[in-house]
Amino acid sequence: MDSITRRSFLKTSATVAAAAIAASFPKAFVDLAHAETPGYFEREFGITDALSRRVLARAISKGGDYADLYFEHSVANYVILEDGKVNRAYCDVGLGVGIRTVKGDQVGYGFTQELNEKSMMAAAGTAASIASGSSGGPVGQFVDLKTENYYPIKTLLTSVPLESKLPIVQAVNDKCFSLSPLIVKVNAQFHDEQKRVLVVTSDGVKAEDLRPKNYLYASVVAEKDGKRERAGWNLGGRREFSYYTPEIVDEVSKAAVERAVVLFDAVQPPAGEMPVVLGPGVTGILLHEAIGHGMEADFNRKNMSTYSTMIGKKVAEPFVTIVDDATIPGGLGSLNVDDEGIPGQRTVLVENGILTSYMHDRISARHYSLASTGNGRRQSYQHYVQPRMRNTYMLAGPAAAADVIKSAGMGIYVEDVSNGEVRIGEGDFAFYVSQGRMIENGTLTAPIKDVNIMGNGPKMLQNVIMVADDFAFSQGGAGYCGKGGQMVPVGFGLPTILVKSLTVGGVKA
Amino acid sequence: MNKEMQDLAASSIKTALSAGADACRVGIDGQRFVQISYRQRKAENIKEASTRGLNIELYVNGRYSAQSTSDLRKDALKDFITNAVAMTRLLAEDPYRTLPDPKYYEGRSNADLKILDPDYASLTPDERHDIVRAVEDACLTAGGDKVVAVIAMGQDTRAESVLMASNGLEAYAAATSYFAGARCTVQDEGDRRPMGYNFQASVSRKGLPAPSEIGKAAAARALAMLGAKKIETATLPVIIENLAVPSVLEGLLEAMTGRNIQQKQSFLADKKGQKIASERLALIDDPLLAGGLGTQPFDADGFAAKKRTMIEAGVLKEFYVNWYYSRKLGWEPTTGSPSNLIITPGKRSVNEIMKDLGRGILVTGFIGGNSNSTTGDASIGIFGQLFENGEIAHAVSEMNIADNHLKFWQKLAEVANDPWVYDSNRTPSLVFTDVVVAGV
Repeated sequence: MDSITRRSFLKTSATVAAAAIAASFPKAFVDLAHAETPGYFEREFGITDALSRRVLARAISKGGDYADLYFEHSVANYVILEDGKVNRAYCDVGLGVGIRTVKGDQVGYGFTQELNEKSMMAAAGTAASIASGSSGGPVGQFVDLKTENYYPIKTLLTSVPLESKLPIVQAVNDKCFSLSPLIVKVNAQFHDEQKRVLVVTSDGVKAEDLRPKNYLYASVVAEKDGKRERAGWNLGGRREFSYYTPEIVDEVSKAAVERAVVLFDAVQPPAGEMPVVLGPGVTGILLHEAIGHGMEADFNRKNMSTYSTMIGKKVAEPFVTIVDDATIPGGLGSLNVDDEGIPGQRTVLVENGILTSYMHDRISARHYSLASTGNGRRQSYQHYVQPRMRNTYMLAGPAAAADVIKSAGMGIYVEDVSNGEVRIGEGDFAFYVSQGRMIENGTLTAPIKDVNIMGNGPKMLQNVIMVADDFAFSQGGAGYCGKGGQMVPVGFGLPTILVKSLTVGGVKA
Repeated sequence: MNKEMQDLAASSIKTALSAGADACRVGIDGQRFVQISYRQRKAENIKEASTRGLNIELYVNGRYSAQSTSDLRKDALKDFITNAVAMTRLLAEDPYRTLPDPKYYEGRSNADLKILDPDYASLTPDERHDIVRAVEDACLTAGGDKVVAVIAMGQDTRAESVLMASNGLEAYAAATSYFAGARCTVQDEGDRRPMGYNFQASVSRKGLPAPSEIGKAAAARALAMLGAKKIETATLPVIIENLAVPSVLEGLLEAMTGRNIQQKQSFLADKKGQKIASERLALIDDPLLAGGLGTQPFDADGFAAKKRTMIEAGVLKEFYVNWYYSRKLGWEPTTGSPSNLIITPGKRSVNEIMKDLGRGILVTGFIGGNSNSTTGDASIGIFGQLFENGEIAHAVSEMNIADNHLKFWQKLAEVANDPWVYDSNRTPSLVFTDVVVAGV
């Protein structure tokens, strides 16, 4: 459950998610020479090991089994173009520490935005109150966790001047208008975020991470014969700023314009059950939503998931393998270390059709007497950890994409989806197809629009009857997943696959 | 007034102006909340904290930026604002960006809007646990042996905000909110485990129903979904349950914002004064509703809040136009976003209406879907109950409705008498006829 605020009292239209074009950042925030040296929070905020030990000791002072501290300092920037000019910028700075005490499967949580001992001790006292016994004893020495770096950067995002971002956003605008006379409005945006985290645990782990995240986004409105259509596209991930070349500007602009213009010719397919082909790449969202969530261990530990009795059982055809992977270089969902100090790793969820693992955080791993898979994530220091996906994808299969489309006969081909939602207990899901085509006599024909597809996750997985050899990882940088009121960035990918049957909510046949 | 928040706002404005800003607006939000959840008759999560955040909007030499931060250390904040002013100068000029004409600040209500519960401070930790335990207990009892999991939750919050602008705006509001509910998962045939939930909110503790009623309703909603199946695609009357109405209404509201109108992303842009829905639809926006969860004496621009008729007898009367987009459009501003939305209720209960209709679908929730504010086209998954001969026959799921808003709202045949009062949207159930519901 998220912190449910009364409503947005004073949420100005300006400060949407907003953070800082500016800011006086500590040296290590803007200077790479300092960036990779461990000890950021000690240098900048005086968080010593001794202080962490005192706070952790307080957190387990009433008999908690385990406690952790999650320090975060983040800077997020948005540079935005509307009506032809880059005329607004938002910046948001987040600073705080979350303190969690675990007793069995119970969690006490407190947080503070003031990194002084008094505030931290008070928050630790709140967290400790989940238990009601006596002291868990002193906390020992910490060992620095060494991990791989799946998103090394040469230039810190916070050291990239605003002047370097402005021309990129302006170029998207100009490019979009130049690509089609039908374009009447362009919105463009460059977003970057740099998040520093430090996790310190009562069982002696100390882990630091520097997580970059960014995207370039274009949204266009096209007008033709008095009708209007809108579409958008973005590219990004955990990238270097140098990723945003003129080629990337062109690719983002072209995709947005093409996606809008094609909609003028789009038809609504007939409603009903039919074969559905999912194209490669971004359609992996469907895998994430329809199947991935049901494999998050908390839903299974609490018997809320339709997968809670299926470990070791056949859930798909033998050519289906699904992984959740923190180790994709530059991937939006990649993590060097998760938010409870477990190293980033690759977890096979379904291997050759057999359900092999759930995605675990520390609590669920302990419940199942397994090691955590490193899926413990949280939106920020204000939130407690939940098992969450990272980059979730299906591996390539043996078929050729053209044969997959041909085998569908009559149905729809899905190129892009949005607004996915799943009901975990039944596995029922619904998705909106934002880009796609009709398949008639095994051939791609008219574009389609405004269609919802619905199905059941486990049933859909069993009904994946062909998997092509054209796996693609989505290169988007704006993929967020919401769960329990928390948003975290995730990546996904898929080869072309054929699902025997899904419900398509088009017009009456 | 909160002196500390007010001083922080005033000093931030001073910093911005002395760094060279021509004008600025500062918002400071603070809240204290306690959140508790229970599972298997013990506390699963307890979370408690105070937060504070500062937003500052800067107007510098015809340019504009907005910043927010939770790092409120005095020196850090001063540097933060000073640098922000300097960087704002690098952006392109935007002649439409100014602080509002102060005349819109005038006339702010001084009435007691009943949004601050006088009993808030006396709430004890034990009482908080008692509420959530009672919700859980009632849910487990009502769900009986079908229950596989119940998570009960409660939260209380006290929030304060200050909004101050360099051209004379000074506004303050404080409010409380309480929230309780449960998610209940029950065992169906095979591996299906439907979940039902019920969450209710109020500005005062006394405004919430008894915790046992809240828990019982969550179980009832889960049990109602047992044996859900889809039926054949058909054209049927559809009743959208009061709780689910805001999801559909959102499709209209999105197209009513100044931003979407100016950016050519609204299918309602040229429809003011026209009939966009059946004459049975009346929509009021009332920010001054006593005890409303969306009650606010001023909006994000600092405008004095006013009750507005948005739709009357199906005719679109107003848009949501904030100061900035009013300048871009050359229109008179209204307010930027909804507060308490009230659909005027009708006279009959959902049961009476079902009896009259004979066969149809009672939609209790939506899944996935999309509403396109540019074209008005919408497609959304539904679940709920099929009724036949005026009685509930069985649960339905995995079905879909697709239509265009401009056609769909004309099909509104009746408004029921059951407004949901535990949300800022006070919507009754709505009855639509001749809706294509796609299934098998």
